[in-house]
Amino acid sequence: MSAGVSTPVSAPVVRVGRIEGLRRRPVMLAFAGLALCALVLALGVALGSVGIPLADTVGVLLHRLFGWPAVSWPASTETIVFELRLPRVLTAMAVGVGLALAGATFQGLLRNPLADPYVLGTASGAALGAAVAMTVPLQMVVLGIGLVNVSAFVGASLAVAVVYRLARAGGLGSMTSVLLTGYAVGALLAAALALVMYLSGNSLRQIFVYLLGSFALSSWPQVLIGLPIITLGSTVILLRARVLNAMLLGEETAGHLGLDVNRQRLVLLGAATLVTAAAVAMSGLIGFVGLVVPHLVRLVVGPNARTLLPLSAIYGAAFLGAADLLARLPGELPVGVVTAVVGAPFFLYLLRRYRASYAL
Amino acid sequence: MPIATVLGIVLAIALAGCQAAAPAPTGTPLQSPLPTPASAPTTTPGTTSGEVPTEAPATAGPTAGPTESPAESPVAGYPLELVGQDGTTVTLEARPERIVSLTPATTEILFALGAGDRTVGRGDYDDYPPEATQLPGVAAFTGVNHEALVALEPDLVLAGGNFFTPPADIERIRELGIPVLVLYAPTFSAVLDDIRLIGQAVDTAVEAEQLVADMQARADEVTTAVEALERRRVFYQIGSEPEIYAPAPGSFIADMIVLAGGEPITTGDPAVFAIAVEELVELDPEVIVVGDAQWGVCPSDVAARPGWGTMTAVAESAIRPVNDTIVTRPGPRLAEGLAELALAIHPEAAIAPPADQLELCPE
Amino acid sequence: MSDIELELRGVGLAYGHREVLRDVHMVLRPGERAALLGPNGAGKSSLLRAITGGEGRRLGAVLLNGQPVEEIGRLRLARQVAVVPGQTTVAFPLRVEELVALGRIPHEHPLLGPRPADHAAVDAAMRRVGVESLVGRDVRELSLGERQLVVLAMAVAQGARLLLLDEPTVHLDLRHQVAVMELLADLSERDGVTVLAVLHDIALARHYFPRLLLVSEGRLVADGLPDEVLGAELMAEVYGIDDSLLAVLGGARG
Repeated sequence: MSAGVSTPVSAPVVRVGRIEGLRRRPVMLAFAGLALCALVLALGVALGSVGIPLADTVGVLLHRLFGWPAVSWPASTETIVFELRLPRVLTAMAVGVGLALAGATFQGLLRNPLADPYVLGTASGAALGAAVAMTVPLQMVVLGIGLVNVSAFVGASLAVAVVYRLARAGGLGSMTSVLLTGYAVGALLAAALALVMYLSGNSLRQIFVYLLGSFALSSWPQVLIGLPIITLGSTVILLRARVLNAMLLGEETAGHLGLDVNRQRLVLLGAATLVTAAAVAMSGLIGFVGLVVPHLVRLVVGPNARTLLPLSAIYGAAFLGAADLLARLPGELPVGVVTAVVGAPFFLYLLRRYRASYAL
Repeated sequence: MPIATVLGIVLAIALAGCQAAAPAPTGTPLQSPLPTPASAPTTTPGTTSGEVPTEAPATAGPTAGPTESPAESPVAGYPLELVGQDGTTVTLEARPERIVSLTPATTEILFALGAGDRTVGRGDYDDYPPEATQLPGVAAFTGVNHEALVALEPDLVLAGGNFFTPPADIERIRELGIPVLVLYAPTFSAVLDDIRLIGQAVDTAVEAEQLVADMQARADEVTTAVEALERRRVFYQIGSEPEIYAPAPGSFIADMIVLAGGEPITTGDPAVFAIAVEELVELDPEVIVVGDAQWGVCPSDVAARPGWGTMTAVAESAIRPVNDTIVTRPGPRLAEGLAELALAIHPEAAIAPPADQLELCPE
Repeated sequence: MSDIELELRGVGLAYGHREVLRDVHMVLRPGERAALLGPNGAGKSSLLRAITGGEGRRLGAVLLNGQPVEEIGRLRLARQVAVVPGQTTVAFPLRVEELVALGRIPHEHPLLGPRPADHAAVDAAMRRVGVESLVGRDVRELSLGERQLVVLAMAVAQGARLLLLDEPTVHLDLRHQVAVMELLADLSERDGVTVLAVLHDIALARHYFPRLLLVSEGRLVADGLPDEVLGAELMAEVYGIDDSLLAVLGGARG
């Protein structure tokens, strides 16, 4: 019984339509997403800039993965399918998972729809690390991982660590101040990057290509090291859906709802940074995935992290896997260009169509 | 976002550098700001015209396997071990029958050595000889298309050192079990070594020696003709938008200019590739060689620039366009390029003009 | 959940060396309803902060049913005490029922999430507060009054036996101010919830709260029935206003 309050003036809105139906079926959406991922995986291995008969592709996979006897196919086919395409698709999908989850996490932690995985200086840090590694006349490859990968990873992680320390030391503990500090540090690192590029001489082109993002150099050693890292970080994030939910009304309220905000914030920040650092170490700076995928998912299922996070991960994998396939079919387009060209108009369309959902 | 700013800056630099970088696809890493580890040029760029060393210096060359008398039973020369510019030893088990060349210069060299019929792939920008353009391109601006490369089933890949082919791509190709020979020539004589090296690798050592000899003869013709002439201060304009791009000291072009009887005007710093107009005016070139003529910059444009009128070269109308491709590409046409450059510096010299001269800036 | 008695012994709040609140002694019995009044900056919100533990360093002891608050685990505390902010900001589209459901976070399974009991509690809370008709609406589309009611529903869903409110009626229209006050009265009288609310509106406080606490310059200067606390001399001293204005306030009791 309502305590003396007459019914509010506005009548309840009964929402019908496809989006509402989807919202109520997150499990179905998850399965659809997984099916999409499977399709992307299959197409990604079967298609490429070189045409390979499907029978050969399947044969190679069965042979290398399950030890089936080898039928006759050219050695180059086996190399292309198993050494080039398969690790590449897996890397793209793993990076898609990581970036989408990191993006959702930063958006939730910073309570800012414009946040993406690179917002705390990770992009600039990684780029600077990679640029320095590419300019220095030193070629080092350990276990299939090059100096550039390590340098990018270190650069990204260090950047966030610096940002966080600076924000805390400034006496401002709130995530907003972390965001602002991140922007400032990122700008500083970007300036350093520009300087390195100016002095880089012949490696300028390489650095530029890195900035555009690419999966062209994916390999099994990268997968075997990068995938566990991304899995670890992603798991940590997925298990903390509750924290992100509590953060919807701000850090103070989250504390009043019983969470150790300081600690959880740090853990989530660390996990999201780890995942982003691994992603940029493997593939350079791919934009758009971390920003748009969580938004798209949120438009459909709402901000409840328990559905938002897993679905973002699944659709992030499918999206980036598909984008990479589109990038390599006509030659070697930078995948970052594809994600932007595909993602931006689609996102604009969705914003317009579902404007009400965003109260715009 | 700061990264957008950087990309904007980069785009600006890259577009500007296009003028400077565009010659790069012709095969010459023009500037070598960082001393490449394995092959710090042993030939000093300041060598006066005259001897172009004909013996193979320690930069790149075979370390094991047959080194002498390539004239005897070539096929028995395999397996062969060679060391490329990156210091990596490349082992060839047999005579390469499916060669992929990733730089315009190496593609030209292969065809000049008669190995064009064994070449199955090229870099996307390799444009000479015309038959080469029929081959599938497997390397573009963003790097090597490994899938396409592997599909060609090469048994030897020729790559460009000093970052022309991204080192990460070279590494990846090697991981896939394909031998990659890296070539890089910072001077004219080093180009001859590269030709010999490639000749060794693809079992055309005889043709290589012949080509080298021909090129050497042409170079000698040039150096002899300009020997007695006064050295003129030469400014080679690599590009002009948005800055004036000039050769760095110790660079390939500087070396070529010296051989062609000129005194190269450089940026003064191996890591700097642009020169301020005031500095150029002060250095007062006697000859301006328009290297970006193929991209629409003509002597009249240069002469019309404000502040340039005080230069001797402009006053005496000693502004001459050249076919930058043959002057800077470290391939078989380089000797002709040397001739063209020498004629641009000393039009009065007794040098036969290059065959197939490009019609540049008809005035 | 059992009813809660809130006791403050010598409680204060300090930022560094600066004490903004000192030496507050007070006991709020289960089901009691009290309003915190005072001029801006007097220390009302600081008192709340000293209880909930936010910024600043707490002095003295805060006890729930005799137990110091520090000894109660964070989660257990959240199940008993709800803090209702006066203003909320939401960065993303959030539906009414989703916001109310946040109140169940201290109760729900960390991984599996809400269980049927949690869903039932959310429904019950929305009905109790009277916002069930707002289900499906985006919180940002609501009027301030409707929104505040929804936030209250979240606190009710939390199942808290102690409600701490920081200026819950700021910016609300009269209709919703009354609705909030009526709801608080209902919760404390019918359900036995202990309520402590910081209010800026003296007339509203006087009408709806049987006990008033007056804070001035970091000290608790009065604690008792409205008539006792709102005496002319004290009010003039604390608020710096003269008799004529006081008469207006006195007349507002109606």
